[in-house]
Amino acid sequence: MTGKTPLRCVLLSLALCLGLTAVAQTDEEKVGKAAAAQVLGAAPLVASELAQQYVNVLGQALAAHAGVTYKWHIGVIKSDAINAFAMPGGYILLSSGLLKSLESEDELAFVLAHELSHVARRHHYQVVQRQRLADQAAKGLQAVTQDGDTAKLAQASGQIYARGLDKSAEFESDRLGVEIMTRAGYDPAAALNVLEKLQRLKGSDPRAELLFSTHPSPEERLDVLLQAGIDKLPRPAAKSNPNRQARFQKFIQSI
Amino acid sequence: MVNTEKSRERIWHGLGLLCLVFTFGVQAQTVREEAILLDKPEGKPGAVKLSAGSAVKALRRQGFWVEVDAAGKVGWLKVSQINFAGATGGATAIDTGRLGTGNIVATSAARGLSAKDLVSGQPNFNEAGKLDSLTTDAPTVQSFLVAGAVVASTEIFQLSAPRPNAAPATAPAPAASGGQATGAPSTGKKKGDDDW
Repeated sequence: MTGKTPLRCVLLSLALCLGLTAVAQTDEEKVGKAAAAQVLGAAPLVASELAQQYVNVLGQALAAHAGVTYKWHIGVIKSDAINAFAMPGGYILLSSGLLKSLESEDELAFVLAHELSHVARRHHYQVVQRQRLADQAAKGLQAVTQDGDTAKLAQASGQIYARGLDKSAEFESDRLGVEIMTRAGYDPAAALNVLEKLQRLKGSDPRAELLFSTHPSPEERLDVLLQAGIDKLPRPAAKSNPNRQARFQKFIQSI
Repeated sequence: MVNTEKSRERIWHGLGLLCLVFTFGVQAQTVREEAILLDKPEGKPGAVKLSAGSAVKALRRQGFWVEVDAAGKVGWLKVSQINFAGATGGATAIDTGRLGTGNIVATSAARGLSAKDLVSGQPNFNEAGKLDSLTTDAPTVQSFLVAGAVVASTEIFQLSAPRPNAAPATAPAPAASGGQATGAPSTGKKKGDDDW
């Protein structure tokens, strides 16, 4: 009888842990949806079903190599701004302005994989959690969540997207994003294309102003990826695929 | 005759530099460590040896290879042999707009997605509901991969995670900006950095 007690304790602890994890995931999704609502208040989804379907299918294809399980919901929003947003719980929003600046599915794969990495590493959710505990505003956030006032939670989340994350989180998402896209079968060199495009925009394009105010410079991001050994990663054997390029062009035309 | 050829060479050289500005980058880069220019990507080493910190101008990139102009000598380097941020001082507090945690940077960004819009705008839960309905299924993903000939890599690899302060020692010191950021990423580890 007494020999069974430790086993029961272990099982009870395990059940509690699982229960707590479930609660945490639910909260993460709730925070993410509220944050998404805030961004969508500034820029709505584009009407094109083809575009929304395309990013969701590509996103799921990449997510299979991210090592996490979320219900992914990816949307294209109507804005000429060049930016993308990752929300806790599996929500991702990509601006049509950013997408129109890309030239291939491989480049889009890097952008999506970068955002997937933010979600997978819970970068934004960690900031929300820290804010909940840290100061007066955090107290408000905590109360807000408990009270279910998602509108206030959404507005508080908006500040995170306006302020940006620590540089280390961006570098980490670049690195993990490149790993994910490469595992999925996309060309890691496309990540360099994207960062070079941003490098060319820098300082001259107001559409990318918020992006540059919330991210390290493209030069820094390039250097960190190079130092991490991106040029040693395997590249797909096939140079390019006409079907892939054709569907990407169709997608771009639809937004 | 010789002078004419030299003039022509100078003109082509000038045009090459212009191409650099408009097609690849906007600023000069430096070489991370001693390097020898190759005649083509994965080609043979030539006679031009560059010391660490030498200034080069990137003309074009092909995959992980970059054609560079090093004081008139043109050749190819592996992209990782080039330091992109170092030569120009990299990011500063001014050009990143990053003024420290807790400060929201005012911007006049594109319509609808400025910092102000994100902070003071109204959430749209109707659109968030639509976003919730956007998803897909495994068979659709599989068909997509087959149609695009996207084949998952079977190789095992992992990128190393360099500390941000491991910026190349050869990079010149950035100009003082008065802000907290420097040409190299922040050297002080903040609480929570890389711990997630």
